[in-house]
Amino acid sequence: MMRQLLVFALARIKQLSVTEAEDGVDGLRKLAEQRFDLIITDINMPIMDGLKLVSRIRSDETHKDVPIIIITTEGSAEDRQRAMALGANAYITKPIQAPQVIAQVKELLGK
Amino acid sequence: MSEHEHSDEQHGSPPSRGRERRASDVPPDTLRERESFVRTFVRKGMQYTEELLRENDDLRSEIRELREEVGQLRSQVASDDAIRDLLRTVERLETERRELLERSRNLEASHREEEGRHQEIEREVSDLANLYVASHQLHTSLSVPKVVQHLHDMLGQLVGAESFMIYVLDEQRLHAVPVASEAVPADYHCEVLLDGHRMGDACLTGLPKVREPAGERPGSLDDPIAIIPFLADGRAVGVASVFRLLPQKSAWADVDLELFKLLGAQAGAALIAANLYQRVASPTEALRGIPSAVEAQLGSTENG
Repeated sequence: MMRQLLVFALARIKQLSVTEAEDGVDGLRKLAEQRFDLIITDINMPIMDGLKLVSRIRSDETHKDVPIIIITTEGSAEDRQRAMALGANAYITKPIQAPQVIAQVKELLGK
Repeated sequence: MSEHEHSDEQHGSPPSRGRERRASDVPPDTLRERESFVRTFVRKGMQYTEELLRENDDLRSEIRELREEVGQLRSQVASDDAIRDLLRTVERLETERRELLERSRNLEASHREEEGRHQEIEREVSDLANLYVASHQLHTSLSVPKVVQHLHDMLGQLVGAESFMIYVLDEQRLHAVPVASEAVPADYHCEVLLDGHRMGDACLTGLPKVREPAGERPGSLDDPIAIIPFLADGRAVGVASVFRLLPQKSAWADVDLELFKLLGAQAGAALIAANLYQRVASPTEALRGIPSAVEAQLGSTENG
């Protein structure tokens, strides 16, 4: 559901195409196949959670500068700090507000 | 008495008769008087001339001063005119500046209003998107677990509920049977007798019951902060109870109430459709009987 909401919201940003991944592992696989300008991920995901995914992305020289937005139900300051320390660029808590996501995406993409 | 007259007198020559009277013929007293007069006349003439010359100088000087003064006055007048013009220009510009400031303030106010309206529209679009996605998700799946998962996601990700349970009613519609939950105590996982329970009231009326999430009454199994009945054909077939919201969400949003209405109207049908579909072998089998059912309906309509 979050994916569909995000796809719906991001469709309002011109010249943006979205690729979906099922989970963190699928996300890493897709990253290996093509370059992305921005990554949005949840934290609570099966197989590989979002924090591990961020850590893996940042340890890869090819993708260490790709902006990463985390959207999650985890709202504590500690969770936020941990995510930012691992290399996330933005941390948005649920419930999802499309205008907030759009604004953050635009800011990180420099639009 | 002139030198010539003196000379004649000294030489003792008698005055000539028949010739013009000479100065030596004039009595000395008269001569002296004449000389004195002439001297006096000349002196006075010289004095007068000097006075005239002085006066002339004074007048020239005065004329010079007056001319200078006139020149200064003219300059001053010109300067005054220039100052007046400048003052008029300043006043005009000041008026323009005030008008521009006023217009700027009005534009700013208008812009703020537009900005506010824009944000309002953005929020409305966002809310509509949430409702669209919720509805779309409910009806694009014919798998009961997926429909239940969608309901779970809606409550968690769209509403921002942290602790909740989803029930379906048993066949007699006496009990609510839990089918999904999030962050609830173990003893919540039990059937709930609807009679006498707030969930039962909501299922009877078909209307969501929502109360303030914060405050002295935290949500519980007996007193959820929100109860959302799922209706199908006007009757409750399921219900969701929300006990707690995420910490970052302190109050209900307008879109939450709209979502509850949507769930109420569509969740029941989605669950029934998915449940029936999973009992058939294929989509084709699921459609069996539709043409005759439609025909029968049309026939009864025509016969009135």
